This record gives sequence, structure tokens and C-alpha cells, in this order.
Amino acid sequence: MTVLAGIGFASPWLLLGLLALPVLWLILRAIPPAPIRRRFPGVALMLGLKDDESVSDRTPWWLLLLRMLAVAAVIIGLAGPVLNPQQARDEDGPLLMLLDASWAGATRWPETRELIATQLTEAGRNDRPVAIMRLSDPEPPVFQAADAWRSRLAGLSPAPWQAGISQTDQAISELNTIDHDYDTHWISDGLSHDGRDQVLATLESRGAVRVFQTGGAVLGLSPAQFEDGAVQLTAHRSVAGSAREITILAQGRDPGGTMRVLASVPARFTDGALHATAALSLPSELRARITRFEIQGQHSAGALSLADDSLRRREVALIAGREDREGLELLSPLHYLEQALIPTAELLDGALLDLLPANPDVIVLADVATLSSAEETALTEWIEAGGMLLRFAGPRLAASNISRDAEDPLMPVRLRAGGRSVGGAMSWGEPKTLAPFAEGSPFFGLAIPPDVTVSAQVMAQPDPTLADRVIAALSDGTPLVTRKPLGQGQVVLFHVTANAEWSSLPLSGLFVEMLERLAVSSSAKAPQADDLAGTIWTPLQVMNGFGDLSDAGTLPGVDGPELADAPVGPEMLPGLYASADRRLARNVLGADVELPPALWPDRIAVEGLSVTSEQPLGGLLLSLAILLLVLDVIASLALSGRLGPGRIAAGLALVLMSTPPGPLQAQDAQDRDDFAIAAASEMVLAHVLTSDPEIDRIAQAGLRGLSETLFFRTSVEPAAPMGIDLETDELAFFPLLYWPVTPDQPIPSAEAYGRLNEYLRSGGLILFDTRDADIARFGAASPNGRKLQQLAAPLDIPPLEPLPADHVLTRTFYLLQDFPGRHAGRDVWVEAAPPDAEQVEGMPFRNLNDGVTPVVIGGNDWAAAWAVDDNGRPLLPVGRGFSGERQRELAHRFGVNLVMHVLTGNYKSDQVHVPALLDRLGQ
Amino acid sequence: MTSSLTLRERSEAQASRLPPLLARAEQLAGTVLLGDHGRRRAGLGDDFWQYRPAQAGDSKRLIDHRRSARGDQQFVREREWQIAQSVMLWVDQGASMRFASQDGLPSKADRARLLALATAILLVRGGERVGLTGTALPPRRGNAQILRLAEMLTVDGDDDYAAPEHRAMIPHARAVFISDFLGDLSEVELALTKAADRGVRGVILQLLDPSEEAFPFRGRTIFESVGGTLSHETLKAGDLRDRYLARLAERKERLSHLCRLTGWHLGLHHTSQSAQSALLWLYRALDRGRS
Repeated sequence: MTVLAGIGFASPWLLLGLLALPVLWLILRAIPPAPIRRRFPGVALMLGLKDDESVSDRTPWWLLLLRMLAVAAVIIGLAGPVLNPQQARDEDGPLLMLLDASWAGATRWPETRELIATQLTEAGRNDRPVAIMRLSDPEPPVFQAADAWRSRLAGLSPAPWQAGISQTDQAISELNTIDHDYDTHWISDGLSHDGRDQVLATLESRGAVRVFQTGGAVLGLSPAQFEDGAVQLTAHRSVAGSAREITILAQGRDPGGTMRVLASVPARFTDGALHATAALSLPSELRARITRFEIQGQHSAGALSLADDSLRRREVALIAGREDREGLELLSPLHYLEQALIPTAELLDGALLDLLPANPDVIVLADVATLSSAEETALTEWIEAGGMLLRFAGPRLAASNISRDAEDPLMPVRLRAGGRSVGGAMSWGEPKTLAPFAEGSPFFGLAIPPDVTVSAQVMAQPDPTLADRVIAALSDGTPLVTRKPLGQGQVVLFHVTANAEWSSLPLSGLFVEMLERLAVSSSAKAPQADDLAGTIWTPLQVMNGFGDLSDAGTLPGVDGPELADAPVGPEMLPGLYASADRRLARNVLGADVELPPALWPDRIAVEGLSVTSEQPLGGLLLSLAILLLVLDVIASLALSGRLGPGRIAAGLALVLMSTPPGPLQAQDAQDRDDFAIAAASEMVLAHVLTSDPEIDRIAQAGLRGLSETLFFRTSVEPAAPMGIDLETDELAFFPLLYWPVTPDQPIPSAEAYGRLNEYLRSGGLILFDTRDADIARFGAASPNGRKLQQLAAPLDIPPLEPLPADHVLTRTFYLLQDFPGRHAGRDVWVEAAPPDAEQVEGMPFRNLNDGVTPVVIGGNDWAAAWAVDDNGRPLLPVGRGFSGERQRELAHRFGVNLVMHVLTGNYKSDQVHVPALLDRLGQ
Repeated sequence: MTSSLTLRERSEAQASRLPPLLARAEQLAGTVLLGDHGRRRAGLGDDFWQYRPAQAGDSKRLIDHRRSARGDQQFVREREWQIAQSVMLWVDQGASMRFASQDGLPSKADRARLLALATAILLVRGGERVGLTGTALPPRRGNAQILRLAEMLTVDGDDDYAAPEHRAMIPHARAVFISDFLGDLSEVELALTKAADRGVRGVILQLLDPSEEAFPFRGRTIFESVGGTLSHETLKAGDLRDRYLARLAERKERLSHLCRLTGWHLGLHHTSQSAQSALLWLYRALDRGRS
């Protein structure tokens, strides 16, 4: 392929044809356009008239130019021009493609894959055997034909870790097993890692090395930390470039259970900085919902940080038995607990029965012996629902008879009377130290400071279950901490006080660690290896190189210290780990991390990832030639006068007709007119189109059924109902809008709300139907109810009240007191009566407000009860048997009353009708 | 055998052409008859015109006793004036008339025949005698004459530009010449002066195609007459337009001058206009000439 000015030509000799153009110019120039023969009687008048000058017998220069360009385009087009021609390289022999394949390249993995595909194509063209090797997961390289690799390309994916020493060592040994020389294309992710130089040296000893690496920075995100009342986020980048702003998204499940972005915060890398920090201040409820943070636009495991317990601040209710010891702060049973918990937990203070509805995570009873029976019941219920009761002993507990003979449900063990005191002034023996924690205890692995001593404790009765329940013991074997499960929750008893009276335990750091292990508090900092000693963590979810989480399945558990310390690798997958009640996230990046960019020696050529693909221009040029020739035809016709103004107009009309916008708008206007005529020529019931086709179908069928009922029974004769798109359709034609509420329907735009409010003010009525039988009572937890609140918030709706028994809706056509649909639900809400509406003596109803209530809100799924199929049979079952049919009949009657109310307003509210109504009411 | 067959074929072809022309002409004439009929003057005739009080000098025989018996006054019954005129038609049958610039327009010959025949129908119904100039079809009255006229009018001429027939003019008759007058004007001049000499007055209707007035041509063109006898080549038709239009105007001016000299009416009609307006104008012009 010959390359001229960046454009390659498949058959450059054809370009010599361009030399013929001047000759063509001369020939074409000499030939005038052919004359037209016309019959024309007026020729008799023209005899003897001479032309002014004989200029026009030559083709005009611009027409010649047009033709020359067309011919030139044909010649060049046939010569096969190619933009960005791929120059064949003179490389030969086996080719090794070495991929870093770490998380750092995951974001740009599509480009990488394209690059590999291009190189495979090239290698295939040159018949080079190819081996592909991933440095993060080295396998013995196999040299194969490029086509064989092509089919496996889709399976290549980056690993969520970077190649470490062990991987590079393995890679070098694998490479050394190859017994022939090879060239290498190293596709780097842009981050430096251990052992890279050794690998490079190995490769260079066997052949040429080319490196492909993007110049862009790799972004990473450290685990989130909670400090100063805000979530602190730190992002890193590998290249200290110019200032750049990124957005960090906090994702989690919303109350509806769907994953969504709960918050986002911008972070700014200043010019030349490698790190950017952002603080995200969130309410604790929302913070507890966050499951992950990620950098927007990045799709790699490193730009993702999973959130674990460290973000979760537990709510701990502290209740002490003695509150009367004013002034002795250090003796307060709660002092040390407060000190230990305040950094990491929300503390609640108050009476037990007041605190229980707040549903705290943990309730601490410090030296509380007796509880009232009401308290006991409520507390038991709470524990069985998953709460954790943490009790501390003390003089009162020791003196009481609780759990003495029979085990109290709220105590883990039976207690001996009195307890014991050791190492005091009046007793023998030394204060006892703690025994090492046994395996299986939640405290296993915690280091016990030697200065922790216990001088007094309550004693557990030796019961058969005692051994299972002890999770910490003194050096003499007596239980220090006991625990028993109760329902889904548990009860834990420290056999010492929560202050320093009986032991020095609350003074030590061990106390805080024990509380952490019990998941009473959660550490704000990333756990250290020591903190996790002796624990086994099972993976719940692990992530791949792209940061996608998948179920861990049967992956083996990992040792606690390893989880904290070991580098991420094949054995230590990043993800979410759990141990008992605690959850810990292992992220790809740690708290203090540098992302060193990969730098290469000067002798290595580094190329970018982007591939400019070959682009043949031949077709383009030939199309251009055809276009030019068409222009030439038009111009020639115009020149020779065969293109009359009429034909030009016809041609323009043709062109205009083939260009969509104008006619389309006309079509729109036509559609709108048709819609308006259809909606306004007869009375039409309408329903709002949700995004759910099934709901729309039921609504349509329901309104059809109601229309038929109205037609049969009343003088209202509606036409077929219509579905209304709030964004586009005019509402003014419809007396009544039926609006089924679905949780996932889109919120209308501001303009649509403007029109809706206009509609409501001008006397329209919207029947909101949450279709959930109003199980949640208005306002609350049902998704439909919440959606209704969202939908109705921007609407101009007056105060509402449940439909009063004397509302005009109860008697506009039928006398009704219930308004069932498919559900015989409870209240239907309408505009509230004016506060001064009084019932006059002897009148069965008040003189209520004028006009029509703008909204009727209910959840009885009326459309489903009204719905009929094409043959007029009910579409959906209502209730059972005859009572169901009665309910359907009442639903129809409600519909009739509603339409009558809309159409006649407060007509039936007129006192004139009182005698007739009284007569019908049988009074 | 052969000759009779061809005769049959030709006559069928002729007959098939006749009815539409006749029907259209009748239809066109019908639109005029409704509003405009009779001489509108008292005179000799068969139709009742009016009763008028008897005046001195009226013959007693003229008194209408049936009317007079209803009162004391005596009335005379007057009849509408009816007198037959001879009207001679000349319709240009030359090839130049067989031209229409657009598909939707009738050819000039078609329009000329239609107008001529419709005028003839009107005149015949008015009791006049209608014929063609020359000796082929002298003026007669009656519906049979219309059929004969229709037959004669559908015969195409061979010449490119026909000259008006001026032989055998009946003195003091009326004449109608319908043509595009694009041929030699001296022939027209001759015919008109000859007619004027004999006291024949009448109407000239110049019938033109819109393209002959507008000359919408551009570019290199060879113009040919319809018969093919004349041709003119130009490289820039657009440049000829002004000079062509000047010549056309000059020709119209000559015709108008001629008409003023001889007392004829001159009318201009385009095939793009409605035939009815031309017919109304023709009828009026003839009427005015008579009154």
C-alpha cells in the first residue's frame, strides 16, 4: 500500500488518470448543451430575430468544474484510498502479550480488549503465534494461532488485585520455561508494582519489548472513615496532574430495598496533588444504609470502597440502677461505659419503657436487679426480636434474689447469693486476673493486659449449661462474662460492675475491645491485626476486578489478622467478610496508600492504548462522485431551460416532503386536533397512563365498564375512555381523571403539574387509587402510599377528610355508605367540609361545601372492580360468590355516584331534595 | 369493400367526435340562454311581448278584446320583435391552432370550435340563420344546421396558418372570426375590408395560449411551428422574450386598428380562461352589433 499524505492507496497507479482531466476539460468545454425542440405557434413572430451574442454555446466553467470534480472523485475513489493505513511492521516470530490485568486497568478494559484484538489481527496477518499471559494471575504461556486467542478474548478480565512478588516470581519462572525467543507486547495498567523490573529484564533477554500504556491517571478510593461527625473519604490518583474534580457516590439500599445512589460528594484534586479528600455528612439512619462508595465514572475494584460496621453507629441505651449518687461521677455505674461508647455509638438515655420503642441495638442494664413485669415482658420481646441486653453486676444485683433458684429469662445464668470478694482488706487471696480467652469465645485472640484484676464478682451457680455460656473466665475458672441466646437476640452478663469498684477491667483498653467484639460498639478505625486475632471471617461477597460484587459461595474463611494485614491476592479476595454479628469490608486499597505510576526505561517505547482503525475512503468518494453527477444533471437541466419554475417547485416540494421535521409538526398538530375532537365531541372518562402497561390496561377496561354502566343506568352516555399522557395531552376535556398509583411510575414534569393544577382549579376531579386497600392508612409505609404522597405533593389540593356520612357523594345517584372496589377498604378521602358546616335540626345532612371535591383518594382498586372485557363480562374476580357480586355492584354504584357528582356538583346537596331523600331513606 | 369500410371507420370516428363537442356546446349555450333571450323589443313575431293601452292610430283590429273586456280601457297586444339575421362563422382550422402548452389546457382549436358551435346554438335558438363563411355551408336555421356545423368544424386544416375565408359574404350579415391571428395579417386585412365593403360587421376573437403571451422559455431552443413548416433556433430563448412580446403587441395593435376602421369588435381570449366568459362576450358583442 502506498501512502500519500497520510492516506494509503490500494492501487495508486489509477491516480495517473487524474492527468487526463485537463484533456477532458477541453473536450467538454467545446461541446455546448444540446438544444430542446419545442413546438410553438408563435414562431411566426420570431422569424428574423437574432441572438445577441453567441456566448452560451460553451459549457459554463462552474459546470465544467463540477464534472471535473466528479470524475476526479471517481478516479481517486477507485484508487482505493484508506485513512489511517496500518503500516505492516517487519516484526516476525512468536509474540507474547503480557497483561498487567489488575483492577487499575478495569476502567479502561474495553479499550484494552480492542487493542488486543487489533494486535491479534495484525499477528494473524503475519502468521505469528501468540501467547497471552496475565501478570496478576500467571499461567504457563501457550503459543497459539492468533485466531484461537480471538475467541477467548471475551473471557479475559482483570483481577481485583495487583501482581505482587509471588505472582511476578511465578511469571518469571513460567517465562523461563519457554525454549525459544519471542517479542513482547506489554499492556500495562499504568501502576507500578513489585517485581516489574525483573519481569522486564527477563523479557528483554528474549526479544523486543513494546509497552502499551495510557497516559491517564489511575484513580483509587480508600475505605471510608467516620471522623468528626462526617464520613471522610480519600481518593488517590497515580499521576499528579492538573486540578481535577471527581464525584464520589455513596450507594445503598433505600427504604424500598432498591439499590440507589444515596448521596454524592465532590472531591477535588488540587493542581499537583495525589490525594483528594471529601467529607460527607449524613444522618446516621442514612449512613447506616450505605453499602459502598465509588468514584463516579470509574469501573474498577480500586475505585470502590465497601462500607462495613465502622460506618454504622449503634444505638445503645444505658440504664443504671442507682442514679442518686450525685457528685460521684467516677463511681457512676455508667461513666466508663459512656467513655467507651461515646466515640463510636449513639447513646440513649431515659426510662426503659420509653427507650424500647426507639428500638436501640443494645440495652445496657448496669446493676439493675428488678424489673417490673411490664418492663420484663417488653424487654423479652425486644430481645427475642434481635436485641442485645448487656447486664453488669453490682451490689444490688448481688443482694437481690433474682435468678437465684430458677434461671431468670433475662439472666444468662443462675447466681449464688452474695457473690464473692477476693484480695480485699477483709479477705484472703490476691485479686484475680483473667484467664486467656478460650477458642470459640468472641474474645478469643484479645491480648489480656496483666494489670486487669478482679476483686469482687457475682458467682454463677454451676449448672449443666454453664460451660457453654461462659465466654470469659477468671484465672481460677470462675465465669467473668456469660452469655445466652434468647430468641434472635442474646443476654450477656458481666459478673463485675461497669465501674471500677469491683475490677480494673473498665479502666483497661480490653474493656473497649470486648465491647467491640460483642458488637456493642464498632471501631471507628480500620481494625489492626491484633484486634482481630483469633477470629475467623467468612466471606459474604467478593468483588472482581471491575468492582462487581458476587456471592462468595463456599470460599473458605480467613484468619482475622490476615484479613487486616495480608495483601489482596488470589487467597485474600477483596469483599465483605462476616464474623458472628460483625461485618468487615476488605477493600483493595488501604487507608494510606500511594498509587505509584509505572515508569519505563528510556529504551522501551511506550505507546498509547487507543487504536485508530483503518478507514477506507473509496465508498465515500464514489458517493461524492454520484452526488456531484446528480448536481450536474440538475445544473444541466437548469442551463438548457428544461427546468421550469414549476418543476423546481415540484422538486423542492419533494425534497421538503422527504425531510421529516415540517410535515411531522403538521402531523402533530393534526394528531392534537384529532385528539381534541375525539375527547370533546362526547363525554369521555380518562385515566392517567402509568408506565405499567398492565395497570393501564385494567384502568382502561375499568373505565369502559363504568362507561357502560353509566350508559345503561343513567342519562350519562360516555364514549370510549381514553388514556392520558400527562406530559402531552390536554386535560380540559375530561371531567374525571382516574389515576392509579404505582410505586414506580414517573413523577410528572413541572409543566404537567402546572396543567394538573389548572385542571383542578377549573373544576376537574382526580380519583387517586393506591390499589392497595389502604392497608397502611394514609401517609405511611406502603410503597403506593408513599408514591401517592410524592405524586400529590405539588398538586394544589385543599385540606382533606375521610368522606363524611352526609357527603353529597353518598346520594348523587344511589344512596351509598360504602365505596368498595376490588377491596372493600376503609376510608375514602375528599375535600374537607368547611369548619362552620353545622347540621340543622331535622335535616339529615349538613349544607356542605359548594362545588366538586377536586380529589378523591382511596385504595380500593376500583378500576379492577369495574373492569370488563370486550364482551362485557367482568375481567377480574371480586370477593367470593354472591357477596363478591354485591361488592362489584356497589363499586359500580360508587362509580355512577362519582361521575354524577362530577357532572352535577352539589345538586343533590340542595335541601329541595330532602323530602324525596327522606322518603327513600324510609324515615 | 375497402372504401366502404374506411368510410365507415371514418364516419364512426367523426361521429364519436361530434357528440362530445355538441354536448359541450349545448351545455355551454344553455348557461347563456337562461338569462338572456329574445330581442327585448316589441315588433313582429309570434311571442307575446306586452299589453299597452291603445293609442290613437292603432288599428281597431289590434285591440285585444279579451284583455280589454276586463276594464274600461282598451289594450293592444304587442308581440316580440323577431327577425332572422344571417351569421357567418369562420374558425381557424390551421395547424397552429392545434397547440396547447400544458396538459391541462385545451388546444386553441378545441376552444375555438367549442365557442363557435355554442354561439351557433345560441343564435339558432334565437331564430337566426348560421353558417360558415365561404360556400361550404351557407347560413340556414334549424337544429340540422347545428349538426352540419359541428361536422364542418371538426375538420382539421392542413396549413400552418390558415387565412380567413372571405368569399361569398352575404351583404349586411354578421360574421364571427375566431383565430389566433398569428399568420399573415394582410389576409385578415383583405377579408375585413372586403366584408366592410359589403356592409358585413362582426366580431373578431383572438384566441391565444397562455404560453404565447408569456413566452416562458429559456436556454438553447429550436422553435418549430405545429405544422413543421417554420423553425427558428436560438441559443438563449430568454433573450428573445422582450422582442417577441413587442411583436405580439404590435400585431394586436394592428388588429385593433383594423377593427376600428371596419367597425368590428375585437376580443382576446386565452385558453386558460373559462369558455363561458368568452361565449358571453361573443354573444353580447353580436347582440350589440344588432341593436
